[in-house]
Amino acid sequence: MKFSVRELVYIAIFGAIWGAVELTLGSYLHVIFPPLAETFLVGLILASIGVVVALVGRHFVRRTGAVFMIGIVTAVLKMISIGGVKAGPLVAILAESLLMELGLYIARKPRRWGFVLAGVLAIAWNFFHKFIMMYILFGKGVYEIYVSMVQQGATLLRIDAAYALVIIVVLFLIRIVAGGLSGWIAWDLGRVVRGRLAR
Amino acid sequence: MAAWRDSRPWPGTFRAIFSAYGYLFLFLGTAVAAIVAREAEVVFVLLAALILAGLSRSQTLRLLIRWQLWAFVLPTLALSPLLIGERNVHLWGLWFSQEGFWAGLWMVGRALSIALATAVFTRSISVSQMAQLFEGLRLKGLGFALGVATNVLPTIQETMETSYQAMRLRGGFRTRRLRTLKLLLVALIAGSLRRGDDIVSAAESRAFDPDRSPGPLISPTRADLALAAGCGILAAALLLL
Repeated sequence: MKFSVRELVYIAIFGAIWGAVELTLGSYLHVIFPPLAETFLVGLILASIGVVVALVGRHFVRRTGAVFMIGIVTAVLKMISIGGVKAGPLVAILAESLLMELGLYIARKPRRWGFVLAGVLAIAWNFFHKFIMMYILFGKGVYEIYVSMVQQGATLLRIDAAYALVIIVVLFLIRIVAGGLSGWIAWDLGRVVRGRLAR
Repeated sequence: MAAWRDSRPWPGTFRAIFSAYGYLFLFLGTAVAAIVAREAEVVFVLLAALILAGLSRSQTLRLLIRWQLWAFVLPTLALSPLLIGERNVHLWGLWFSQEGFWAGLWMVGRALSIALATAVFTRSISVSQMAQLFEGLRLKGLGFALGVATNVLPTIQETMETSYQAMRLRGGFRTRRLRTLKLLLVALIAGSLRRGDDIVSAAESRAFDPDRSPGPLISPTRADLALAAGCGILAAALLLL
């Protein structure tokens, strides 16, 4: 991966914008929604904005690897922030940027559907992220723990366990839609910013 | 042996032995060991993480007195006997699960080991050392990008706050919130890119070349490689035993 000075500066700027969103908005959202109570909404909002910023960045740095570099810059900024080191967000940022890169690689040239695919792949990660982090924290037997939690949750809510699976599918679909929407918005936003800079 | 250019003080013993690669291996090794360790084996991983944290950078042990950590640990310990497994122990008028108690305890052990390893890694190597590490991993120019990003981050945060307040005071977020959010992002990105052009001009006028490394490239020391091998053997032993 070889980048010019201008491209590197743009990578730094988009990484810093994503980092600023994570640090500023992330802190607000974690206060409004305590992490143990609500990870779905906070993760979805932060990931959607992050995806928009990184993909707009791809409008300005049209090279393979640019989005991954933006992700690394964001992860490092998050790592050195005052809030302290948390493995979860770091893994999420890096995985999202890698998946965006994969989506863009499949599309070959910057196209709207490529951006949508990149967004879908990145935000779909959020769903699996929870399972992977649970595996890391719970260790082996995560499936059994998950099934037992679903069963107990279903008993607690007095609904059939089968509906719990429906809820999970709906949550996954919400992420897919949010990802697609983020990619769509990023495509438009990139052109708007480019137009504004050309004025 | 790695020779750093920045003035960050290094702990005496470790400075002479390990380079940034050593800390990276230490972090990855602890994380992998914590993930593959079964039940009580986590205790050994946690003990190793505590000893290594104490030896390499004792300030990281302050992590153990942070309330955010206990806000995770205590609810996990309290809720897992109620949520996981069959409740088979009667105590203080409540039924608890023995399986859930142990699962919670091992979970906390894993989380603490990984948190300590991450803290040792990030507190022990500075941004410039991290940049050199990335340059060594063939990510050319990332060091420069990281330097620029660290410098522009406070300005971007300030611009974000100011733009948000300006839009909020004009009633921007009362209706059509998504449109206002898009406008906020456009203003933020366009403003930052304009500032970026000044940085590009400054770098180019100083004949900056991203292909030239900003400092001596780091190569792993023998101790780093020995540590990597040790971590690998430990992870393999945990998997096989």
